[in-house]
Amino acid sequence: MNPTDSILALLFVSDEPVSAERLALALGLTQGQVDQAIEILQKRLEKAGPLSVIEIAGGFQLATKREYADLVSQYLRPQRSKLSKSLMEVLAIVAYRQPVTTAEIELVRGVQSDYSIRGLLERHLIREVGRRPTPGRPVLYGTTQQFLHQFNLKTTKDLPEMPEALDVPISAYAPSQGELAIPE
Amino acid sequence: MYSLRRPILVASSHKNLAKFHPGGLGVIEPPPIFVSTPVFDGSLAMLFTCVRDHKVNLLDVPLFPICEAYFHYLMAIENKNLDESAAALGALAYLLERKAWLLLPTDDPEPMVDDPLELPAPTAHEFQAAIEALSEWHEARRQLFFRSGSGPDPYELPFALEDISAVDLAREFERILREATPEPFESPSKPRISLQEQMRKVLLVINYEWQTLSQVLPLPITRNEAVYWFLALLELLRLGQIGAKWVGEDIAYARR
Repeated sequence: MNPTDSILALLFVSDEPVSAERLALALGLTQGQVDQAIEILQKRLEKAGPLSVIEIAGGFQLATKREYADLVSQYLRPQRSKLSKSLMEVLAIVAYRQPVTTAEIELVRGVQSDYSIRGLLERHLIREVGRRPTPGRPVLYGTTQQFLHQFNLKTTKDLPEMPEALDVPISAYAPSQGELAIPE
Repeated sequence: MYSLRRPILVASSHKNLAKFHPGGLGVIEPPPIFVSTPVFDGSLAMLFTCVRDHKVNLLDVPLFPICEAYFHYLMAIENKNLDESAAALGALAYLLERKAWLLLPTDDPEPMVDDPLELPAPTAHEFQAAIEALSEWHEARRQLFFRSGSGPDPYELPFALEDISAVDLAREFERILREATPEPFESPSKPRISLQEQMRKVLLVINYEWQTLSQVLPLPITRNEAVYWFLALLELLRLGQIGAKWVGEDIAYARR
């Protein structure tokens, strides 16, 4: 069987992104062969048809091409759920600072954030990834595969570079000895 | 966009003023005018909060460029958001009054002001670029449609278990519960077993060879015991003290 067609068949029946490792295991191919076959498949679908193979959330998935977005949208009438400014703010902090605790998020924002955290947990955009071994063992939050999928990212490494935000340790936001430590 | 540059101070408003709206909690946020001085770097709202809480010495923060930036904002504002500009004016007036009292050579104590908690709250402006990028990608992602609209499995394990998913473990739990017998009625004062104690019990049964749950589960088992067993199993997996892998159609466990 042609590996390109086999991969197309597996992607067609999958409801979620399939990693190259999983495809290799299922087809008895090496990862290099899978990568090569996916490249051929992507080029083939690019030339003709309404579908494309996209790399998203750590795997590959079949999706409709952007030019069919209006048509499909009219047919499916998907519910638009726009994230509020505060949810986006907390999500950005978690994405860049993960794993991060509620207290650390609140240090950065300067306002109480548990409502936003709950909202993001309900939307499966963030999740508990463990507990910090400090007094109280606070819950650590990180982003999910659903986050990568919702924001069309392959991995969290695809987030835009934020040198200023990334270089400042969270402790820099904490007030110390009666004075506010301001990131430089 | 405009910005005022000084050797030691930069105060500027954000380029996308029209995008900002008042906060949804009844508190109107001021426009994002950013203040950068040797002693303070942040938004006007953050400066207001820090001065209010005596965390920044206002004498070290020149207010003129901030006022100038506010006037530029007023000139540039497209959709005339009076609530937003009033919030900034309120914050600026507070800062000016506080600084005036600090500069006055008087022995009189500074009068108490109204509760400033009603004034604007600070925001994490450092992440503005990331928030904008995420919003753009979120919008672009809406142009893509998949066979299943739900995306990946929303239940993720907080630890790596190779190809065993949260759903697989949930099925395993269902299986334990099916094999369990209903709990006989007992008084509520029954002493509780701690998770640590249960983990020790589970570790005694699971050894270094891969075994399925049906091989290690002490039968008969009550539903209460089944729940404790599964919780202990999950905790041991999370801590990495035991491992799990597929053996045929069953999940097998072994000590690490």
